[in-house]
Amino acid sequence: MDEVLTTMAVFWALMLLTYFLMQNGLSIFNDVAKSMGMFMLEKALGPAIDLVEGRPGSASKAWFMQGLLWLLVASTLTFEGLWLMHEPAALHSLSAWGYNPTSDSLLYAGNYAVLYGGIGMLLIGAGLHILPRLARTELASEKNAVLVSFLWTLSVMVLVIGAHDSVVLGVDIIFLGTAMHVLAFFAVVINQLLTVSKRQGALAIPGWLIIFGLLADPVATAATFISGSIETGVGQWLLGHMVGGTFFFASAAGVALYAASSATGNPLWSKSLAAAVLVGSMATINPMGEIDGRMAADMLGLSLGDFQFTTEDNLVAAFLMALATIPIMALAANVLITLRGGDAFVENPDSAGTAELNLGASMLLPLAIGSMFIQSDAFAASPELSGLAPSLMLIGIWLVFVPISLGAALHLFPAVTGRHLLSRNRARWAFWMMGGGAFLGLTVTMMADMIDMALIEATVGDPSSLAGELRVVGAVLFYGTVVGAVLHTLNAVSGLFRGTRVDSERETSSSLSPESYSLASPTSVRRILASGANLETTVVPVGESDDAGSATEL
Amino acid sequence: MSDDGSEAIGEFLQGEHEPASSWVVLAFGLVTALVLLVLHSILYPGRELPVIAEILPVFEGVFDSGIWFFILGVMLGGFAIIATMLTEATSE
Repeated sequence: MDEVLTTMAVFWALMLLTYFLMQNGLSIFNDVAKSMGMFMLEKALGPAIDLVEGRPGSASKAWFMQGLLWLLVASTLTFEGLWLMHEPAALHSLSAWGYNPTSDSLLYAGNYAVLYGGIGMLLIGAGLHILPRLARTELASEKNAVLVSFLWTLSVMVLVIGAHDSVVLGVDIIFLGTAMHVLAFFAVVINQLLTVSKRQGALAIPGWLIIFGLLADPVATAATFISGSIETGVGQWLLGHMVGGTFFFASAAGVALYAASSATGNPLWSKSLAAAVLVGSMATINPMGEIDGRMAADMLGLSLGDFQFTTEDNLVAAFLMALATIPIMALAANVLITLRGGDAFVENPDSAGTAELNLGASMLLPLAIGSMFIQSDAFAASPELSGLAPSLMLIGIWLVFVPISLGAALHLFPAVTGRHLLSRNRARWAFWMMGGGAFLGLTVTMMADMIDMALIEATVGDPSSLAGELRVVGAVLFYGTVVGAVLHTLNAVSGLFRGTRVDSERETSSSLSPESYSLASPTSVRRILASGANLETTVVPVGESDDAGSATEL
Repeated sequence: MSDDGSEAIGEFLQGEHEPASSWVVLAFGLVTALVLLVLHSILYPGRELPVIAEILPVFEGVFDSGIWFFILGVMLGGFAIIATMLTEATSE
């Protein structure tokens, strides 16, 4: 039996077991496990837990703010990595301080910063707000979630340092960062599991996506170890894609579906499509990600295994990646049509975060299909498209996962903090800078990749000056993402202190509501509400007739 | 107006509105600075600017790539975020 199918079979079995345990509990150990979990989250931490506040929303706020700061760091590292592709000695003056970054190390560090620092923290922050609401209860421990956010940030810092130099003073830095990351991750998982255990009724599908996204990460790692494929390149590649398809994709899907409905006031377009996303994200292999398992191997302190697919592995992996089109297409359609709605927006369509969600959902399908071609090509003995893989992965990160997680965070910001972002106009500018910078910068970089690939294929020795110039242009255009990250962070920081209060805005808007609404033709309640009417507005039917009109008598 | 009246106020008042013509003062200051630089180059041709000419060589070999202009922008952005955090947290 081949490695891919074996590992996936173990993963599916473990996920089914997890679902069964979540639904049925641990029998007589239920109360003991819950009490023990709460003890571990708060009392066991001693005085450390009293260092942070436990007000409702404080956990999400802490994760959001740190996630925004990580986006700035990640975009800066990625920008520098793109620049150094053309000018490797651009930062040589830093060698006086013992820092010798290369393009590869900067991009690798940028990937850790954006995946676990930016996207990971924003998704977990959004999940900490959404899951209790869907479960109609409160987060098990706000204090623990706040405290753990700092441990998570510390772990990402260590990972970013390790990406530059993996061994410092004989210590495997990336593995050390992973150990800290696992500790923080388990605290979040236990917190969310305890929250779900207190649910008052059935959990909506976005809630299941968020909790399964969290649980599937350690389950996927366990499955790879149990199947024994963790030492091989195929197993490491698969682990990277399982984590990408569950923790990142499933969590992002849950958050995006909730935010799309919440931001527009439209009900979720299709429950069946949401269910397809839930099942599909667990049952298939998400094609977006690395073409090797370098990140998975480094994080587990293993050496990168040989990347040799057997015919069976190739077949199963390609089939499961092709199947991933179903949940990806289902998510994109569900989010986009929910955002558009069947009628007028009840909530403000221009609210911060909606544009980001729209961008992320729009880019999802084309990038997934592109990634599938690159991944399928990578299985071949002599891959021809591998030169495009790093750029395509960056595009997937910055145009799908960052917009979705950031859009959800910006939308949830008022609900979490009690205040709106300082300026809606600044948020709009930041969106254009960030989205435009990532799209244009990385597209131009990919054009340079194509030129280099063509020259390699033609066995031309000298590198093209055009490709070099394009790389500089790509890096400069990507700088817009850095500026966008600065603007978003400034907007959020100022909004925390001086943003319009959520309750005061409601009072203001209600005073502008019309006292009466003339109903000339049949219309929906949604459209009446969208015109500014509220529950106190009197709807006045206006008579209609089919007679021919005439001049108004004065 | 009596002297007693002016002493009775005794507190700092900061206006909330910005006069439309206030930018003229800033622009005038900038133009004056540029004019003085030009004047220096005319009066003392070939002579380097005092103080500044002694500081700049310190950074020779450091900012020798265009990337540093962009990194400077990132640093400004980072400092702006830190400054905003501090000022927002300490303001009334």
